[in-house]
Amino acid sequence: MSRSGGPAADRGRVVLVTGASGGIGRATAERFATAGYRVAVHYGTNRAAGEAVALEVDGIAFGCDVADPDAVATMVRAAEDALGPIDVAVCNAGFYEERPLVAIDDVLWERSLRVLLGGGFHVARAVVPGMRARGHGSIVVVASELALCGGVEVAHYVAGKAALIGLARSLARELAPHLRVNIVAPGAVDTPLLPDRDRGPSYTDTVPLRRIGRPAEIAEAILHLAEAPWSTGALYSPNGGVVIQ
Amino acid sequence: MTADGGTGVALVTGSAGGLGRALVTALSAAGWTVAAATHRDGPFAGDLADLTVADELVARVVERFSRLDLVVANHAAMTMAPVDTHPVDDWWRIVDTNLGGSFRLARAAAPHLVHARGSIVFISSEWGVTGWPGATAYASSKAGLVGLTKALARELAPDVRVNAVAPGAIDTSQLAVDAEAAGVTLDEVRARYANAAPLRRIASPAEIAATVVFLAAPEGAYYTGQVLQPNGGTTMA
Repeated sequence: MSRSGGPAADRGRVVLVTGASGGIGRATAERFATAGYRVAVHYGTNRAAGEAVALEVDGIAFGCDVADPDAVATMVRAAEDALGPIDVAVCNAGFYEERPLVAIDDVLWERSLRVLLGGGFHVARAVVPGMRARGHGSIVVVASELALCGGVEVAHYVAGKAALIGLARSLARELAPHLRVNIVAPGAVDTPLLPDRDRGPSYTDTVPLRRIGRPAEIAEAILHLAEAPWSTGALYSPNGGVVIQ
Repeated sequence: MTADGGTGVALVTGSAGGLGRALVTALSAAGWTVAAATHRDGPFAGDLADLTVADELVARVVERFSRLDLVVANHAAMTMAPVDTHPVDDWWRIVDTNLGGSFRLARAAAPHLVHARGSIVFISSEWGVTGWPGATAYASSKAGLVGLTKALARELAPDVRVNAVAPGAIDTSQLAVDAEAAGVTLDEVRARYANAAPLRRIASPAEIAATVVFLAAPEGAYYTGQVLQPNGGTTMA
């Protein structure tokens, strides 16, 4: 796909993908690159993996902790200095860990909220002023089907992802009509974060489509919503039919 | 519902506010013994943004009443600003109070609620379901409560039921905050909210409290993981 006209058409559009050193983020960086975007590849701690993805997609890697609002603002400035104004931000950075309610300590709770929700808020507050000034831009947040249906021993994760959906819906209203904000809420996908339990038939037999998802399938949904001109505040949950509502 | 099929001891946070007072009144009238927690005053005071307060509140209630059957997490902090100018510390204070404080209450209360076969009701908001411009912190926190409700409903079943209520506009002092944020008079904000609802009025605190009483009562015993939305029809999602 290519957008017609405008100064951005000459140099290609720019996408920032957080959490792009592996899994869904990496597939998203690859998909946007194939679509002609120049890619700012964000990684949290795995610099080697981030730089490998950047090399692969002919982009540039930027490392920071998305839980730190100042570090995110610095990264966005650096990415825009190097690649040009960010047209699309994909807020994908996250982590997954199972813990019973009474064992979720204050450190894990805060980390979950600061990464899963802060990864949306901190990126939005950094990219929105520029997008607003330019009169266009799009944000996609990557939530989870667990935010829709709940789950056991993941209260910190579900709360963070559900809050991220609330953030995106609010931003969709606040930033309209020029900027769009949408949500992809994947089911179980073949990434390093997925527990081994969910790879076998004990789980996949419960999935109507009988398998877990592929990162590229989620990346396709993210690209679609990033560019869907009449979609904002929309939530799309590719999940093999696990959540039908 | 509780182990003996009736009422018991309820901890209600944010009980000094408009909805909070109605919750205390309605639960008391229904036969509950209510520990009315507030931000500043009284025997159950504390700021739930403080990491230790939820544990302290629950301990005080159990010390005083020897049991805990129901938690109604109703406290909330609220300020409004555009996403890129909202001071970061204030943004997180809202999330940490509303969502974090409710989580810590549930974590502290869970062992007692399991023992009592009790329940939790989180007070979310229509804005947590629909989102709201200029309210990213508040709406995120209230949407997070919907997720927390579903996660804890699954995890704590079958011992403890966990539900949420997501009210639309209520006739409380909060309307003045909304009016100021929108730059209109109180009467205008009332009219605006009333006109947005198919039922053409805003809610009284008592009718929202009645929804909470229902969820906690034996009549609500088959509800868990649900979000009831007394909102006059504003959103039907």
